This record gives sequence, structure tokens and C-alpha cells, in this order.
Amino acid sequence: MNKREFLEALQKLLGGLPEEDIQKSLEFYSEMIDDRIEEGFSEQEAVAAIGDPTKIAKEILADIPIAKLVKQKIKPKRRMSALEIVLLVLGSPIWLSLFITLFAVVLSIYVVLWSVIISLYSVAAAFVACAVGGAVSGIVFISLGKGAVGTFMLGAGILCLGLGILMFIGCNTIVKGIVWLSRKIWLFIKSCFVKGEVK
Amino acid sequence: MDIQLKRGLLDICVLSAIKGEDSYGYQIIKDIKPFVEISESTLYPILRRLETADLLTVRTAEHNGRLRKYYHITELGLKRIEDFKFEWQEIVSIYNFVTREEEK
Repeated sequence: MNKREFLEALQKLLGGLPEEDIQKSLEFYSEMIDDRIEEGFSEQEAVAAIGDPTKIAKEILADIPIAKLVKQKIKPKRRMSALEIVLLVLGSPIWLSLFITLFAVVLSIYVVLWSVIISLYSVAAAFVACAVGGAVSGIVFISLGKGAVGTFMLGAGILCLGLGILMFIGCNTIVKGIVWLSRKIWLFIKSCFVKGEVK
Repeated sequence: MDIQLKRGLLDICVLSAIKGEDSYGYQIIKDIKPFVEISESTLYPILRRLETADLLTVRTAEHNGRLRKYYHITELGLKRIEDFKFEWQEIVSIYNFVTREEEK
């Protein structure tokens, strides 16, 4: 890939970004390639050293606040005609409510997910509480001379403790997974605002 | 290394690379590379972030018939480096605390 091809590929990938951001990125990478060539690298080598345009576009995108992307996307290319404005206002009961619905759905998915997590943690906590209860009652029964019952309670307590710990480890893994997933989703939403399909 | 941590440390590296005299992208990379792994795609967002935070300023100058951007550290940038040196003392004492058991 030569310099021109590289810059064209990058420009295409950054398609939906604000003009200023595209320009700055292209200038930066163009300068980087030129500096390498000046140092004695061939054009091909210099471009190869910079890396894959897709990856670079992804990093640039990840660094631009989503508010800026949305603003860029909804900025009309030309002034809207009176008819379009009227239609937009008349249509607002439809698109506005659709938008709110979408937001509510996403929000409720999140609430449900976190509720599940909270309840799983509660179960884990309950197991631990049972373990404490088992241990205490076990000791009480044994000291009262009821060895068999006491040993059973103690055993049940230890079982609960084990289950509680397993539960806790499982919950942590799930939470990590959800955090990872929401990052991915966030990046996906961002990439929807860019023509070049950066994923 | 933890990504957030490395990002913060690279910010300081870049500031330090332009501390003595103004520098440009490729030179910054060459200066830092012997110490920490850094690539163009990592440097670019850092420079933009530091510029937005007023830790450095950018000027464009001609070089061999083309334009090159030179980065200049601001007072705020110099202060950031000093703050880092101070914070590092704290990190060292945390490290000493964390490793105290292992030595015994």
C-alpha cells in the first residue's frame, strides 16, 4: 500500500466524522509517513510501519465523544425546507415516542440485568449467613450434648459456605462479562454514526 | 499493564519528550520507544487529548517543502510533570507496603 492509498482508505473509514477531525488525522498520519521516508524507509515500508487503517480509524473513533458524533450526524446537509419542518413537527408524536420507547427498552434491559446480578449476590450472601447460622447452632447443639445434630448443623453450615463462595465467584465473572459487553455495545452505537463501518 | 494506567503514564512520557525543546510526532515516538512501547495510533489520541487539556500547544512549520506540526509544552504541562514526580513518591510507598510481606 502506498501513502495515497493509505490516506484514502483512512479517509473513507472516518467518513461520518466531523470534517475537522478527519483533516487533522490525515495530516498527522501523512506527516508520520513523510518523516519515515525522509529517514530512508521506502514508501511501502513507511506505510506498513504505521499499521492497519481499520485499527487506526477505530482508535480515532474511540477517542471522539459520542455527543460530537451525534451532532455531526443530525446536522442537516442543507437548510430544511418549510415543508420538511412542518412534517418533522407533525410527525413528532410518532418519531419522538419511538425514540423514547427505544430508550426505555434499553434502560429496562439494563435494569433487569442488574436486578439479576443483585439477586444472585443476595443468594450468595444468604448462603454465607446460613453458614454462620449452621456453625453457631452446631456448636450450641454439640455443647448441649446432642453431638449428631450438632455435627449435621456444622456440616450444613460448611456446605452453605462453599456454595456461597462458588456463587460469589460466579457473580463476579458475570459482572465482568456484562461490563465488557456494554463497552462493546457502546462502541457499536458509536460506529453506527460513521459511514465506514468501523467495528 | 492496566490500560488506564498505561494511558496516563504515556501522557507524561509525551510531555516529557517535548519538555526540553519543541518536537514533532515521529521524533517523539523515536524518543519514547527505547523506554516504552508506543505507536502512531497510540500517540495521536494522546496528542489531541493533551492539546484539548491545554497541556501543550501546536504550531505548524515548514520542513523540506512540506508542513510539519511541532508540539510545545505549556506551563500547565510542566506542572503536570512535576505533579507526576510527586505522585510517584506515593506510588513507591504503596509498592513498599504491598511488598513488605514478601520480604519476610
